Amino acid sequence: MKKLLRTYLPFSKAGLQSSMAYRANFFFFMLGEIFKCFVMFFVWKAVFNSSNGETFMGFTMENMIVYVFISFLTGYLSFSDGAYALGEEIVDGSVTMRLIKPCSFDMCFLFQELGNKVMNYSIMFVPIVLGVKIYRFVATGSVCFNIGYFLLFFVSLQLAYLINFYFNVCYGFLAFFLTNLWGTNLIKNVIVNFLSGATIPLAFMPDALRIVLTYLPFAGLSYTPVMIYMEIYTGWEILFSMALQVFWLVFFVVVSKLLWKSAMKHLCLQGG
Amino acid sequence: MKRAFRLHRIFIAQYMKKLMEYKVDFIVGAVGFLLSQALEILFIGIIFSQIPDLAGWTFNEILFIYGFSLIPKAIDHMLFDNLWMVGYHIVRKGEFDKYLTRPINSLFYVTVEKFQIDAFGELIMGIILIAYSLIQIGADIVWYRVFVLLLLVPFAVLIFTAIKIITSAISFWTKQSGHITHMFYMSSDFSKYPVTIYNNFIKVVITYIIPFAFTAYYPASYFLRGENGLFCVLGTILVSSLLFVISILVWNRGIKKYESAGS
Repeated sequence: MKKLLRTYLPFSKAGLQSSMAYRANFFFFMLGEIFKCFVMFFVWKAVFNSSNGETFMGFTMENMIVYVFISFLTGYLSFSDGAYALGEEIVDGSVTMRLIKPCSFDMCFLFQELGNKVMNYSIMFVPIVLGVKIYRFVATGSVCFNIGYFLLFFVSLQLAYLINFYFNVCYGFLAFFLTNLWGTNLIKNVIVNFLSGATIPLAFMPDALRIVLTYLPFAGLSYTPVMIYMEIYTGWEILFSMALQVFWLVFFVVVSKLLWKSAMKHLCLQGG
Repeated sequence: MKRAFRLHRIFIAQYMKKLMEYKVDFIVGAVGFLLSQALEILFIGIIFSQIPDLAGWTFNEILFIYGFSLIPKAIDHMLFDNLWMVGYHIVRKGEFDKYLTRPINSLFYVTVEKFQIDAFGELIMGIILIAYSLIQIGADIVWYRVFVLLLLVPFAVLIFTAIKIITSAISFWTKQSGHITHMFYMSSDFSKYPVTIYNNFIKVVITYIIPFAFTAYYPASYFLRGENGLFCVLGTILVSSLLFVISILVWNRGIKKYESAGS
């Protein structure tokens, strides 16, 4: 364990330093992204004003607003583009450097991205979580903070990130076959966002589709952590959905290792 | 002016040749964009399955506003996309030298240098939504309003372009401003829905400060209901012209600050 950290922590440090160097950029970028949430905030306000009932498909307005912001936060913090870097290395051939270094390729990417995450967490996590709490307090007049649920949410969020990371590593291997990483990456993100409930909450989907989607790995990327945060999942549901997250994580880790092994056998790069 | 148009045509032709090499890229990019928009529309559809109208606007009217908001955005995206690069790397890497040494206006050259075909996805989606919503609404189309709406499109495009010019020009002082452009550009999302759903603060900001409301809601609402004609039509023309003049002034001041990169 100590050896592992000694090998890979420098990668995290480098990741943190590079994101620190561009923190102003990151801040403006973030602000631009969060506008989407505010648009949805006002859309939902208008929806609840226009509808007769107190709830909309089982959600109260406060719930819906919390959903919008927390699912944005979850999506952002579980985002991983390590695979994109891997794909580019495969396309331009610099992946060979990975082969001569005494460290595993996925751990390098993972630790480097974790360094970036330190930055993301420090800028986004506290303001958004706090902001949502304050909103809830103003809207409903009560504060509900259950440390147990919050910790479970945090664990589930980390699982979501790891699933996303290894899923994207598997996807990155497609670079052996595809040349257009940018366009296919866009399509992949659109589909994954839909299947994970980030675009449309899974609760709004027809029953049959919803049940299928909750078993697929993508629900674990966004919907599961958000449902735990909102305390909609309870007891067995939490246990089951988190076990499912662990299952899919192991699944993608194994698949990525297998792909790496078989790819290395066939790897053929020109030039130098 | 005539020369500018001729040059612009040459730039587009040049870019098309480059693009023919990457046909698949174009199709994949357009499919990705269409898919993401279609899912967003589906979401709006789900919302409307539960409510009769949103702040007084029916589903089809919302679709029209949403669709119309894509048109100026797409045209700006297609013709003037290269401005993004000014803030991201052209100034920082000293590449702006190239534009200063050519015998045409630097702002014009850098703006039209690239023709961005990805924008066809937005354009097609916008046209589909407009056509579909108009057929559904089935109202008698007031022909002079169609004419007015078409007249307003170039002015709406100008709002997008002017905001990109101003935010890109910031890089002459700060070396990099691509992320500031991104921030302002993303605020155009507010214009996809009727301004009436927002609170006063946001209403004032997107009407008078970052006037994206004039790129979609005001022209579209005038077309649909014919109310507030003076404000919607003259407002769009005045606000966009004013913003464009400001953007030229900022740009020209910025160029004076430009210092090339070493090495």
